[in-house]
Order: sequence, then structure tokens, then C-alpha cells
Amino acid sequence: MLRFVLRRTALVLPSLLGLLLVTFLLIHAVPSDPAAALAGDAATPEQIARLRHQYGFDRPIFEQFLLYLDKVAHLDFGESAFSHRPVTLDIAQRLPATLELTFCALALSVFVGVPLGVMAALNHNAWPDYLLRIFSVLGIAMAAFWVAIMLQLLFSMQLGWLPLRGELSSTMAQPPRATGFLVVDCLIAGRWDAFADALRHLALPAVTLALGGLATIVRFTRAGVLDTLQQDFVFYERAMGYRWLRLVWIFVLRNSVTATVTQIGLLFGGLIAGGVVVEAIFDWPGIGSYTVQAILTGDRQVMLAVTLLVGTVYAAVNILVDLVHGLLDPRLMEQG
Amino acid sequence: MSASGPLLHRRQLGGLAAGALAAGALPAKAADASTFVNGWALPANLDPHQIFDVPMQALMLNAYDTLYRYEGDPPKIVPWLAESHTVSDDGLQWEFKLRSGLKFHDGSPLTSEEVVYSFRRVLALALAPAGAFLKVLKPENVTAPDPLLVRFKLETSYAPFFAAIPSICIVNPRVIKANEKDGDWGKTWLASNGAGSGAYRIIPTGYRPLEYLDLEINDGHFLGWADNPKPVRKIAYRPTKESSTRVLALLNGSLDCTDNALPADQVDPINASKIAQVVKDTIMRTYIIRMNNTKPPFNNLNARLCFAHAFNYSGFINEVLNGYATRDPYPMPDNLWGIPTDAKGYDYDLKKAKEYMAKAIAEGAPMKRPIEIHVQTENEQSVQGAQLFQADLAQLGINLKVVGDTWPNLTSSAAKPDSTPDMWVHWVSTYFVDPENWVGQMYDSQFHGTWKASAYYKNDAVDALLRKARGLVKQEDRAPLYQEAIRKIMADSPDIWIYNSISLMGINKRVKGRRFCTVGQGSEVRWLTLDG
Repeated sequence: MLRFVLRRTALVLPSLLGLLLVTFLLIHAVPSDPAAALAGDAATPEQIARLRHQYGFDRPIFEQFLLYLDKVAHLDFGESAFSHRPVTLDIAQRLPATLELTFCALALSVFVGVPLGVMAALNHNAWPDYLLRIFSVLGIAMAAFWVAIMLQLLFSMQLGWLPLRGELSSTMAQPPRATGFLVVDCLIAGRWDAFADALRHLALPAVTLALGGLATIVRFTRAGVLDTLQQDFVFYERAMGYRWLRLVWIFVLRNSVTATVTQIGLLFGGLIAGGVVVEAIFDWPGIGSYTVQAILTGDRQVMLAVTLLVGTVYAAVNILVDLVHGLLDPRLMEQG
Repeated sequence: MSASGPLLHRRQLGGLAAGALAAGALPAKAADASTFVNGWALPANLDPHQIFDVPMQALMLNAYDTLYRYEGDPPKIVPWLAESHTVSDDGLQWEFKLRSGLKFHDGSPLTSEEVVYSFRRVLALALAPAGAFLKVLKPENVTAPDPLLVRFKLETSYAPFFAAIPSICIVNPRVIKANEKDGDWGKTWLASNGAGSGAYRIIPTGYRPLEYLDLEINDGHFLGWADNPKPVRKIAYRPTKESSTRVLALLNGSLDCTDNALPADQVDPINASKIAQVVKDTIMRTYIIRMNNTKPPFNNLNARLCFAHAFNYSGFINEVLNGYATRDPYPMPDNLWGIPTDAKGYDYDLKKAKEYMAKAIAEGAPMKRPIEIHVQTENEQSVQGAQLFQADLAQLGINLKVVGDTWPNLTSSAAKPDSTPDMWVHWVSTYFVDPENWVGQMYDSQFHGTWKASAYYKNDAVDALLRKARGLVKQEDRAPLYQEAIRKIMADSPDIWIYNSISLMGINKRVKGRRFCTVGQGSEVRWLTLDG
């Protein structure tokens, strides 16, 4: 298994380098001046020229790229032109919020989507199946921003059950940050009031973000289970009197979820990208809104760092997916 | 690329929903009676010597003090940390006498030494707040002859120096120096912390850039609290990114105020609610369509006059903005001194535009070439103005293409006449209250290469007038020069000046005592009390 992981990791490195090079070239193709962005609105041409030289923006592009690579190798992503803070610090403060939301949405999608998919397959062409098919089509078709506003209107404005925005109430003191993951930090600090408040704040954005993925997982699981149910071993086990539910939830499901697991890997990237809208509507303090801000302000260092980061996380999740595939079907691991 | 969008934007959807809910929404668990939950945008970071924009002005007014400060409407510059100042007859030497007994948030004394450090830090960092000072002030010429006296010796006489004094916050060198790294003037540290003496102090653990910020009251503020016995104890900045969320949060009581750029179509739903209302203030922020005077046909006066008569000013203000702006035909806010009130601006008159167009064509101006107008795509009003203009120019047979763009791209492009678009749309906000902030920096040719001077207008007589006005100290001597310069600029019609802004801010009815000033746009919290 270690060999498998090492080989996959070795393949990821050139991909990330390629990603960084393409992003670097694309960003430099846009005719914005990073020195002007750094200097601010009220800056004089002399101030801008000084910063251009100071940060090396007046050097040839490949020299700039090599300098950047050297910095990245030392985990230095430069300074944000917008916040004037180290990009590494900004991302370190924001990434946990995005991961918290993404993992929560992913968990919702998987732990609700897989059972619903199985239920739909077991009730093939009966009303639960029809209902879940309608739900999954709607889940994929509905725009996240629309769902978000509808959920806000219902649960925050009409019923008053859940908060409208943010990750913690404005009257609630922040817990000391140990991991950056608010829910975890509340637990570590023994702040049960803040823990409950954080969970309530997490509910609406997580459900909004999960909905599309949940619908996809329902569809893939349903199709996989339907396919497996037709296989000979199922007929054999049933004929042998094996307990039906045990057969379905262990053996049928295990043989059905290969495509679903692949889909979960792909979904992860989709959730991070989809999180941009959800984070904006719910004022979730993650990297989504930070990235949008960077694009609008031409903040090159942030755009590069976030692209590399998302690429790395995406690659890591895909290695994980490959590992899970190997665990589900050890033949894949042997084939490498 | 033509700018277009969906039939129903997210904000409009939210607006409709907010309207439907205005009467029936359940109030959220309201903030306590001493916490003001502020929906204003946060500055990019917390260092007032690095950032200089409207969100920073709002933070400065609450967390920092300055030698003088703008207060009131219309804005008046009043003594703040300084109790008085003097200026030499030649306008080169300025002296500020400080109040005694001033203290920073950590209790350490604020004297002239700290003022000197603050100005030297601004000049050393040389970022946006330094813009007004770099050309006229050397660090060694800011001195402290005694603990309560600060002396500035300028290189040349520069009257806007005094107008820009309220833009420099006095910071505490003791806490900054303790956190310096590699001679960075504590830049990284102050970006996430506070080092001021203002009415409220920053709580560093309550800060995440652009997301939230908490401030607590400074009971020992030099001004005292006798004028407000029940002040806000805590300010919780909770900026909202989406207009729909912002309005909903105001309506359910989880925000005490929105920012002051509320879209006009949100006014009625908010005013219909029981919990909140919209306050309207005329501010000094002008909306302008720039013309690149170096590119044909804009290098032709008749062509420029044609365009100036083809914009439907009242239609834009009354129909698109629901009347929430005032027509301003001048190249600076009409509520600022130095305006020649006898000068007449241009009206929407397509017949006149046609006549000017014919004259321009006769003079060889290429009026039929496709013309690009660049807009800030993320800013709806910028797009709407261009689209309205496009429709009217089409009636004249002029092909105007609306090109989506971003602010950093546009300001970068404006560095050279060749790369500056044919036309582009932007606002000019109040960086300091002086004609220099508008006409001085927009139409003096020495500023070519900056986004403010992106019309690349050149008139030697105007240059001379603006430079002379800049070198005089007394407002009564400067005003006639600006009036004369503006008359000449308006006759040359280098740009299309459309309106002066009215800010719209949603505010909870429990908030009392608000005072408005265009600098900071009413964001000073020390005057507020909260009912309940």
C-alpha cells in the first residue's frame, strides 16, 4: 500500500507544477498591474514604480516564475496586494472554515445519499423510487444561491430556528483557536455554548452545499445497487436463505459503490468550487470569498496560492479515493 | 464583450423576498443593548498607514485619533488631538499644538514624539495614505520641538496639506516597535492589531480579515463620554457580502446597520418594516464617464460635446437610481467650495448632440468608429450607466460597445494614454475634502499616468490656475482660482460628469444619535446609543 501511495504522490507533483505554471502564465496574461494594486487607489506613479521594482514585477516572466517557485518551496506565498498580509497567514486562518463546511456537506451527502440511493433501488419503480428520482433531479437542477435564500427565508426569517449568516453569533465570544476548525476548537475549549451555536450556524450552509452532491450520490448508488442486485451471487445468497438486509447493506452495497466513491472524489472539488457562492451568501469566513476578492482586485499572489492549494487538496482526496477503491476491491491495489 | 446578466439577479431575488417578509419576519435573537452590530465592510487590513479607503476611514474614526478631524455636514475640519495650529505666511511651516494628558489604549502617553513617528512611518511605507504628502514632506522635516508641539516643514507651499491631515492616524510606536520584523515598521503586525488611542479599541482575538472585527469601548478616551452617557460598549463588525443577506439580517435584527451602498430597490422593503429604516445622506462621491482625450474622436471638442449631450442624465438618476442621486454637472461635488455656480452644465439633448456630431465629422473626427466603454462588471450601476448611454448613442448612429472589466485592470490600463480605454466609468470618493481631490488631481497634466487623470486632458491655462491654487493657503484666495479653472474645464468638456451620490443605509430603529459627515460617511459610533 505504501508503494501505491508513493507512486500516486510522485505522479501528483508534476501535475501540480503544471497547474502552477499554467495559472502563472494565465494570470500574467491579464493586463493588470500588481504594483498598482499593492500601492492602493491614492498612490502616485512614483509609488507604483517603486513597488514594481521592490517586488520584482519588472523582471522577465520566467525569472519571476522561478523566484516564485523558490518561495513556494519554502512555503512562502508572498504578500496579498489587497490585505498586505502574508498569504500563508490569510489562508491558514480561512482554510479550516472552508474544510469544515466542505467535509460537513460531504458527510451529509454521503451518509444521507447512500442510504437513500439503496432505498430507491430496493423500491425500484415504486413510489419511494419515483419520489427520490424527482428529488435528485431537483437537487441537481436547483441553483445553490436560490436554495440558500429560500432556506434563509424559511428557517431564519419565518421560523427563526437557525441563524441567517456567519459562523458564530455576534454576541458569542470566540473560543481560543487551536486547530482553526471552530467546532473542534469549541470542543477543545469546553465551550459547549459556542459549540451549539457553531453547529446551528453550520446547518444551513452545509445543507445548501450538500444538496447537489447528495442528489448525485443518490443517483449513482441507486444505479450501482440496481446493477449488483442482478448478479448471480445475490440470487445464490438469497436462495441459501442469507438475511436480506445484511446481504444488501454489506455485500450488495460493497459491490455497488465503486462508481459512487469515484463520484465522491470528484464531488469534493465541486464542493470547494460551489462553496464560493454558499460562503458569500452565508458570510462564511472561508477561502471562497477570499478568492473572489482576489480575482476582483487582481491579487495575483492569492490567486496562485489558492489554485495550488485547491489543486493539492483535490489531488490528496483523489489519492484517498484510489485507496478506498483498493480497500473495496483489493485487486485494484495489486494492479497498481 | 457585452455586459449582460440574468433576468433576476441574486440581489433582486433577495429584495423580493425581503419585501414579502418585511412585515412578517420573526426577529432574531437581538444583540444586547450595548453591542452595535455593524454591517459595514472592513478594510483590507487594520493598518491605517497602509490602506486608505472608505472602510478604513470608518475604522479610523472609531479606533484611532488624528490631529484634526472632519465633523458635521457639510464637513468642517475641527481640532482633535491638536488644540490649535499655525501656518507661516509662505505656507511652508505648519505647527500643531497638542492637548495635554493624551493617552494610547495601553495607557502610555501620546506626545509630539509619537506624532512624529506616525508621520515618518506613513512616509516610509509610502502606501496610499502617503499620497498627499510624499512630494512635499521629507521625514526629517517632521519634528517635535517640545512634547506638545509638532512642526512640519514643507518643500513647497501646498494648501491641501491641512485638508489631508485628518487622514493620518497617530499610532503607538511602543507596541509597534516591539513587533517589528526586518525593519518592516511593524507592517505585518499592525495589519491584524490595533495601536491607537481612539474611542474604541481593537480586540485582536476578535478579528478575521474581511470577515469580522470586535472593538470595545475606551473609557479613557481624551474626549470623555459626558456627551453620551449611554454609549455603545462594543462594536461588532459583521460585514455581509450579499445584498440579499444584508437586508434580511437587518430585517431580523441580527444587524444594526447595513453599509451605505444599499441598492435603491431595497429602500421600500426596509422602510415598510417595523424594525428598520433607510437613512439618506448626500455625500461627496461623483459618478463620471471618462473620455480619453488623446484618442480620436475624443481629441475633438465637438465630438466630446456631442457625447456630453447624449447622456440621459435625468433618466439615469430618476429611473435607474430611483432619484437617489443629485445631478452634478461639475467636475467635483456641487456641495464643495470652489464651484462656479454660474457655470452651466450640459443637458441631455440629442438634437444638439447631432449638431455637434456633424461639426465633428466635418472636422475629420471618426465618429462612426466602434467605441469601447469599459465598466466595472461587479458594479451594477457602472454597467447600467453604460447600457443607457449605448442605447442613446445608437440613435445617433454611434456604435458603443460595453466591455466588462475590473477596477485593478482599469487603473493599470490608465497608466498610459495608449492603454487607457476610449471611455470608462468610475466614481471619485472623498479622500480629503479639498478641490485638489477632484479637479486638482484629475485635470492638472502633471498627474497624467494616474487613474484620476485618465482623461489625459491638457490645458496650460488650467494647469497654471490649479498649480497656483495649490500653492496658496487661504481658502478665500484659492476658491476663485478653482472657479476659473472649472469654467475652462467645463468649456473643454473632457469628461461627462453625471451625479453626486446619495448614500443609502439601512439602520435599526433602536439606533439613536447618529451624526453624519461625508468623511467616513456617518460611521463614527461614539455618538450612538441603543434603545432597549
